[in-house]
Amino acid sequence: MLAFIIRRIISTIPVMAFVALFVFSLLYIAPGDPAAVIAGDQASPADVERIRASLGLDRPYLVRFGEWFFRVLQGDLGTSIFTSLPVTQLIAQRIEPTLSLMVLTLIFAVVIAVPMGVVAAWKAGTWVDRAVVGFAVFGFSVPVFVIGYLLAYIFALKLDWLPVQGYTPIAQGIWPWFKNLVLPSITLGTVYIALIARITRATMLEVLQQDYIRTARSKGLAQNSVLYLHALKNAAVPVITIIGIGVALLIGGAVVTESVFAIPGLGRLTLDAILRRDYPVIQGVVLIFSFVYVLVNLAVDLIYTLVDPRIRY
Amino acid sequence: MTAPAAPLPLADEAGAAKPPRRSYLRKHPSVAIGGFLLLAMIFIAVFAPLLFTVDPTAISTARRTRVPSELYWFGTDMLGRDIYSRVVYGARVSLIVGFSVAILASVAGLAVGLFSGFVRWADGIVMRVIDGMMSIPPILLAIALMALTRGSVGNVIIAITIAEIPRVARLVRSVVLSLREQPYVEAAISNGARVPRIIIKHILPNTIAPMTVQATYICASAMIIEAILSFIGAGVPPATPSWGNIMAEGRALWQVRPHIVFFPALFLSITVLAVNLLGDGLRDSLDPRLAKSI
Repeated sequence: MLAFIIRRIISTIPVMAFVALFVFSLLYIAPGDPAAVIAGDQASPADVERIRASLGLDRPYLVRFGEWFFRVLQGDLGTSIFTSLPVTQLIAQRIEPTLSLMVLTLIFAVVIAVPMGVVAAWKAGTWVDRAVVGFAVFGFSVPVFVIGYLLAYIFALKLDWLPVQGYTPIAQGIWPWFKNLVLPSITLGTVYIALIARITRATMLEVLQQDYIRTARSKGLAQNSVLYLHALKNAAVPVITIIGIGVALLIGGAVVTESVFAIPGLGRLTLDAILRRDYPVIQGVVLIFSFVYVLVNLAVDLIYTLVDPRIRY
Repeated sequence: MTAPAAPLPLADEAGAAKPPRRSYLRKHPSVAIGGFLLLAMIFIAVFAPLLFTVDPTAISTARRTRVPSELYWFGTDMLGRDIYSRVVYGARVSLIVGFSVAILASVAGLAVGLFSGFVRWADGIVMRVIDGMMSIPPILLAIALMALTRGSVGNVIIAITIAEIPRVARLVRSVVLSLREQPYVEAAISNGARVPRIIIKHILPNTIAPMTVQATYICASAMIIEAILSFIGAGVPPATPSWGNIMAEGRALWQVRPHIVFFPALFLSITVLAVNLLGDGLRDSLDPRLAKSI
């Protein structure tokens, strides 16, 4: 068990190394010569060369990758071309809204989607089931910004129940923070809910046909205890897997959701960085998001062994 | 999309008692509905110039941000361009990107998957690279790639294709690995059959069904990613009529002129829904074992 955990943690190292190499290459092949930019228009080619040498830009690719990687390990992601601020500082300023949005969405989605899938499987073939399946197809097909505008139009503009846009830091109170995040979370969560509900339903359908479920029923256990204690526990592994994989959808969707609801988070930072071609920032954001994604899926793998003792390594 | 790789149908199941063709569409209504909607979109895209459209890039400051009317069916945008014409022409970009990415990612993913499945010594390296690529969320990967190049339809297709290849490669590799264990494939190998013959006779026929289903999901996902890229300004050039671009232009005004965002959003949703329905229907009919479970 401990050996497995250690092995699993070690196995993320080559993955992270590849991501780092990819992200570094992004800056390496990015158009534009930083040395020429710093030297300015008046500089002679010799000046540019000197600056290039002083920045270490004339050294081979792998040497530069090694140095860059070493700095990243120390928490230095470079300096933004546009604002001249350290990338880590920019990310630190913007991480709270994005993290709030993603965590809230995750909670919303799991609380809504898992019971949805369970009920659909239990009532397989009825209108409830068809409604859930229909919702899943709908959730996959309607792009995240369409849902965002639709919800904002109905609940903020027409009904005036919730704020249209913006973000309030959690330090200024839980309620204003929550009120601003309700619509963005539902927006971001729709496709995620569709995904989790669909997999939960499929796995539960399979589990409900097993002998031990029939046994549990025949010994007179209450329906809910059969569904949630016996069946869902056995269906947990695929459901947890998809919750982990689905975090990729959350990360991609967050960029768009933040733009629709004017939330000043990492997505906004990415967007501005793209428009200004601020490569160190783009690099930093991709690296951070990928790192989070790898960690989430590492956690998922470790949770398996807790929920399902049948899994032995 | 991110659905896990489908388990294989066994070879003998696929050939069992095919229903007559006429009842096929009745038995799988989602194929019929999805196919019909998709054909309608293709029709709109192909015959865009004949569908009472005007030049979708023609700017006219005198008729800016009009609401929908008899003259401008879907209204006009901030530059006075006719939104109906832009939406109709936008179908071309969406469908071209969706179909191109589905085909390119399938072909490239097939090649990588076959290579990884047969060349054992390379498998470890290839899979680590694929794991690494898959640990970057697809939209983020596409955004990062687009940040390196100029916005154009071709570059958008390449960026999304690269982001989607790992999923196909994984699927194909899993098919190859499970088929290699099958007795009839072992028999073929021990008979001295060469790798190309095994691929053509045994591997490809078994990958076609799951790959077709996968391709439809990739097509749907590619259309959404294209719209997102264009919406955030990292996609096709702003003047090109694409649904994402039209929505991006309507973003600043959406509280007072929601129709600018509404019409392209509607068309995009219908098209993606059509492709997803087609994919679900194909999965149910091509892969009976999976259809029972999902």
